[in-house]
Amino acid sequence: MIAVLLWLLATVDSAFIGYREAAGRNALIDKTAYYRHALIRGALFGQVAVLIAGVITALALVSSSDARALFSNLELVGARMLIVYVPYALIILITFCVRAFPSVDIRSITSVLIFGPFTFIRPVVVLAGAVWGIVAAPGAITIALTALIVTLMLGLGGALSWFRSRRLIS
Amino acid sequence: MSLSTITRRGPEISDAIVSFDPVTLQRKPVKKADVLDQFRELRNHEAVRIVQQIPERDGVLDATAVDKVLITSHCEMQRMSEEFQHGKRVAELLKPILNALRDGGVQNPIRIVDIGCGTGFVIRWLAASGSLGDDVELMGVDFNVALLGEAQRLAAVENLRCKFAVANAFQLDEPATVFISTGILHHFRDQDLSYLLQQHCRPETCAFVHFDFHSSPMAPLGSWLFHAVRMREPLAKHDGVLSAARAHKSRYLLEMTRAAAPEFISAIYGTRLWRMPIPRVFHSLVGIRPKYREAFIRNMGNRIASLGKIE
Repeated sequence: MIAVLLWLLATVDSAFIGYREAAGRNALIDKTAYYRHALIRGALFGQVAVLIAGVITALALVSSSDARALFSNLELVGARMLIVYVPYALIILITFCVRAFPSVDIRSITSVLIFGPFTFIRPVVVLAGAVWGIVAAPGAITIALTALIVTLMLGLGGALSWFRSRRLIS
Repeated sequence: MSLSTITRRGPEISDAIVSFDPVTLQRKPVKKADVLDQFRELRNHEAVRIVQQIPERDGVLDATAVDKVLITSHCEMQRMSEEFQHGKRVAELLKPILNALRDGGVQNPIRIVDIGCGTGFVIRWLAASGSLGDDVELMGVDFNVALLGEAQRLAAVENLRCKFAVANAFQLDEPATVFISTGILHHFRDQDLSYLLQQHCRPETCAFVHFDFHSSPMAPLGSWLFHAVRMREPLAKHDGVLSAARAHKSRYLLEMTRAAAPEFISAIYGTRLWRMPIPRVFHSLVGIRPKYREAFIRNMGNRIASLGKIE
């Protein structure tokens, strides 16, 4: 359940990373298809990140002398990460519901009060969740795996931009 | 982008790296050293770094490189406008004005001219939405050929019914019924602002709506945060924050307008939201000829609560 929730959050987060990476690069008025592609691309890149994290976690478990203890520690770290990430995600979700209200002013306020500031603090939230998790089960492997996940979460936007700069995505 | 940008007072880099002859509209060469000296004198090291990155030819800023930066910046600014629903916001304020003009028997077509339209986001959005009516002509004007070219290209791609011209907005062959602008007013100070507002006083012009950043103590910090997370182009980040810091106060705008364009009654729209001190990004200076006043107020409906005293 914890892994599924983390995967779900990672997928939604990476879809939004895809959106943000594409935003501000296309000046057409109707960008529905453009943004749809960006969201899907972000989510797919997110799956690659999840796959990398998953494979390395599996390797760590397989090579561990006490796989059960390591698994239990990783679950604990994951659960604690969710304590930080789920409220953040819920606030964003609720704000999207508010933004659905067809009012220019309300929609602007959602950006002023939530979307802008929350994008700004996202790296801090990502780090906070990781630190909060590690504190519960400190250990070389859990720290290394959590650091990998944080790097993937924070590096995804840069990776997308790198692909764009080489014209591998448009 | 450093937080110290919020304490600066100008000029913006985009104002300093281009120059146009106001009569011929021809672009004039801008010496890179002059721009750098200007910012060094102001101790604006961030601007110095940004300008240093712009290529030069024989000491003159390369016009193509400058245009490329400006087009990129405008594209990023459009993203911000979209997030803040700016097209819809403009349409919502124009509709009661246009209906008031129609009620007052103004001649068709009603021509809306966007001053300093850049890549023409507002005009293209209005054209795409089709929300203002078939009797409305939409036109964007700017001095910058490259920005206008991009506006025309984008409008053609989406087959939008609007025009763009490199021109002085106040010397058009087909004069404007309504002038609009976004983020322009703060570029003009004192006498220049007064002169700009005086230009609205021509017989064909019935109204104007100028959107600009809402000046408040929090605005520069809020702008800094948004530009930090939403923009990539260093020039766009720098100028965006500076725009909020340089925004005119509502009262100052009204005083200038009432003195410079006494043929119009004017008010500020959108300074307060639901009569509460909720931070606003934009507010707008609205001017209309007195004979359309009653119809305009009637057509505003609930939005009248966001309109200051119109006189």
